[in-house]
Amino acid sequence: MDLDAVIRECLEGSQSAWETLVNTFAKRIFNMAYQFSGSRQEAEDKTQEVFLKLYGALPRYDSGKNFTAWLLTLAKNHLIDEYRRTKWEKTQRDDFDERVLAQTAGDGPEQSLVEKEAKTLVWEGLNRLSADMRMVIILRDLQGKSYEEVAEILDLPLGTVKSRVNRARLQLALVLREYRGGTS
Amino acid sequence: MTCERIEELLSAFLEGELAAAEKAEVAAHLAACPECARLLDLLKETTCALAGFPEVEPSPELMAGLYAVPERKAARKRWFRPVFDTLTRPALQPVFAAFTVLFIALSFVLFHPEARGVRKQISVQFHKGVGAVEKIYADAGGLKGEIRAVSANFIKSFKNLDVLKSGEGKK
Repeated sequence: MDLDAVIRECLEGSQSAWETLVNTFAKRIFNMAYQFSGSRQEAEDKTQEVFLKLYGALPRYDSGKNFTAWLLTLAKNHLIDEYRRTKWEKTQRDDFDERVLAQTAGDGPEQSLVEKEAKTLVWEGLNRLSADMRMVIILRDLQGKSYEEVAEILDLPLGTVKSRVNRARLQLALVLREYRGGTS
Repeated sequence: MTCERIEELLSAFLEGELAAAEKAEVAAHLAACPECARLLDLLKETTCALAGFPEVEPSPELMAGLYAVPERKAARKRWFRPVFDTLTRPALQPVFAAFTVLFIALSFVLFHPEARGVRKQISVQFHKGVGAVEKIYADAGGLKGEIRAVSANFIKSFKNLDVLKSGEGKK
């Protein structure tokens, strides 16, 4: 798919080109918002807002740039700004989806239970991270971006990104240690 | 290497990004320090948990809402445009200018550090004005009484003149 052509058609008012753009990026943006906020409802609202912003900002997109990185930067800015503006920080995230956990059963029921516990703890632990830390871990470990891509999206030096990722992972590891009772 | 330094290098160690010498140093520390080795295990578990988080599918309602974004924007424009055009008519510019001056004056009165003194001065001037107007009214009232008296005298003298005239005729 020629993304530049799709964007050009969008700017000319083509509904089908817009739908192509939505089909390509909606899942990624929705997941980013869901992982960041921890709430499906909040994620749906934020995804709508990001796409409204995208539609308004499309004429300003420089076709020489990486569109995916540009869109993720727009989404990241919106999520963090809204988070700071509204102080929307839930004390609890939505429960981790049981159906999804069932898919990842490992070497047996015991292994599966340990994995499930770790996933639930890490999922809830994401709320303990600051907005910046949470975003960096979402991009790197949940969305699977390379350090270079994360640095481009966040507009940060590579070294800062690597150090933030390490600190965020350590904070989440400490959540596991805390839950399991210190140095067991 | 200290445990703090090892903590800083753990992700790079896990991802194989360290130079050979540094990697050997970290490995040696981990072999000797159960606390750091435990942290490395937890870090591995954390990254595995994060990597295992699945992608969630957006609902059909959300997708429908996203498809409708251009329509919503256009509808907003349809409503917004006439209001914007009305507000930006050149004929309204003097009104906006007058309001601006009024707001500046009002903000000066309300938020000036010596606003209390300014308000008091305005109040004094206002009451002076009211007093002057009342005085004019009072004077006008007095004048009215005098005019009435003069006109009554005039009518009376006029009537007397008629009486005199008729008396002269009888003679």
